[in-house]
Amino acid sequence: MNKTYVTIVSFLSIGAFLVLLFGFSWTIQNQLSKEKSTVREQPQVEEIVNEKEGKTIVALGDSLTRGTGDEEGKGYIGYLVEELEEKTDEKLTLHNYGVKGYRSEQLLNQVKGDTIQNQIKDADVIIMTIGGNDLFQGGQTLVSPKQDEISLLKDQYVRNLKETMELIKSINQDAVIFLVGLYNPFIDLEDAATTTAVVRDWNYSTNLLLDQYPNTVFVPTFDLFQLKVNDYLFSDKFHPNSKGYQLIAERVASLITW
Amino acid sequence: MNKLIHNEMLKIIRKRKLIVVIAIMAVLISLFTYAQFREVQRQIEKLGDVDWRTTLQQQIVDTQNRLTSSGISDEWKAQLQIRVQQQQYYLDNNINPAEPGAPTFVRSFAQESITLFVPLLIMIVAADIVSSERSAGTVKLLLTRPVKRWKILLSKYVALLLSISIIVVLMGLLAYVISGVVFGFGGWKAPILTGFTSIGGELNTSHVQLIDQWQYILMEFGLVWFVAIVVGTLSFMLSVLLKSTSASMGVMLAALIAGLILSNLVSSWQSAKYLFMINLDLTGYLAGSSPPVPGMTLLFSIGVLAVWAVIALFVSFSVFVRQDVY
Repeated sequence: MNKTYVTIVSFLSIGAFLVLLFGFSWTIQNQLSKEKSTVREQPQVEEIVNEKEGKTIVALGDSLTRGTGDEEGKGYIGYLVEELEEKTDEKLTLHNYGVKGYRSEQLLNQVKGDTIQNQIKDADVIIMTIGGNDLFQGGQTLVSPKQDEISLLKDQYVRNLKETMELIKSINQDAVIFLVGLYNPFIDLEDAATTTAVVRDWNYSTNLLLDQYPNTVFVPTFDLFQLKVNDYLFSDKFHPNSKGYQLIAERVASLITW
Repeated sequence: MNKLIHNEMLKIIRKRKLIVVIAIMAVLISLFTYAQFREVQRQIEKLGDVDWRTTLQQQIVDTQNRLTSSGISDEWKAQLQIRVQQQQYYLDNNINPAEPGAPTFVRSFAQESITLFVPLLIMIVAADIVSSERSAGTVKLLLTRPVKRWKILLSKYVALLLSISIIVVLMGLLAYVISGVVFGFGGWKAPILTGFTSIGGELNTSHVQLIDQWQYILMEFGLVWFVAIVVGTLSFMLSVLLKSTSASMGVMLAALIAGLILSNLVSSWQSAKYLFMINLDLTGYLAGSSPPVPGMTLLFSIGVLAVWAVIALFVSFSVFVRQDVY
């Protein structure tokens, strides 16, 4: 083994040692000094330019948009996109911002974010599911439905949805908005009459609000789940299963025209 | 003394250990680069455009969804919560946390490799540094020289420190060069946020600082180096104490892997924070992920590791000086 080779490696190692020692002491010094935040607002760089090739779909909302309960994990949005891709030759881009458990106020908060607004601006179609968690609260509401409580929830929901819609419309007037309505997952249980009335009333209020906006479609799903609800529900008896999601997807797909 | 150290370096080099370590690093870094490359491709395919804000927003939504699923542990939940808030902070301040380029790869690679990958590489060099002399019988030749025993051990330790230093630097260089071929070599000046702290699952941003990526990487490698030295020192002690190299490697390996497992379990076991293997993830503090046991800080972890290393050194020297050799 060449002696100079060893010497070279040794000296390189000493150099490495010093550099790393410097890095390490710098870290400690930096951590000790605990300066106040130095983050300055970064200059807002140029608007996001999305290559406008094909159509853009933005999906917003709760677990239905996310696809909870679908064995294949697609959700109605997944099936919808598949179906649309068969129908057209255009390239489809999907942005799915659905978050499980979202209520209308959380959706409103999300839509206030810059990045989401940028995506909404470029959207050709916006699809939403919202309200299910406002109303059902994970099944609590309909176990012991109290009229005054429900109307309180509904008022809040309508207010949030109104603000959300106005925000979206102010960003993008041309996009068609589809809002998928609620079904009654408890239609098989006793008390179906009460729960059905509540859900129908809820959907009616949503529909009433949406009528104020152009290019906005309320998509009913109540009838889809009316007769054989258990065939279309996931084992949690709340979210749709694959079949249920496919039904919703077919319905929305038939409404979308470019 | 210089001669002794030179002699020890010669031994490490002649055993081709550095070459082996470099080869392992080159192969694995290539693999990681390829995996990262595929991931980027998939993102582009899925989201259509490549604006980082879109990707980051999508990541936030994905994490939020994972948060709501039942059956995830509280520790993991806290981690995810912190991550979401951090990503949101990046987004709100319009800073890309993953500027494409080799420096970003180097940064995340150092972060991922500090708890296991680097310690393993160090063990290759450190685990047999004394015990191999004993099994080969050369230790007798060494000790019959007119040199004090502690000097012999010290020269071995210094040679170990030097090899650790060059291994850590070479790891950075290899990661930079290999990933640079795929992702491009630029991005040293990209802004990075550091100084996040978490209190009770909430992200505290009052000390967040904006620094250049090269500064961040330098700090990170300083920490990686420190961890490597501590692990090296512990292996060094085991190498003095145990006659068989495989035994000392086994002990070290078990400790490291136990550390990985424990990190996900110990948030309610307070005193676990004094174990060295819980404290290895120093780069996590820079990035601001939540520590394994609430209340741990960077300086605390460095302190714990330093105490372990000092004790290990003390044990190594006092045992080696008195040990009977036959």
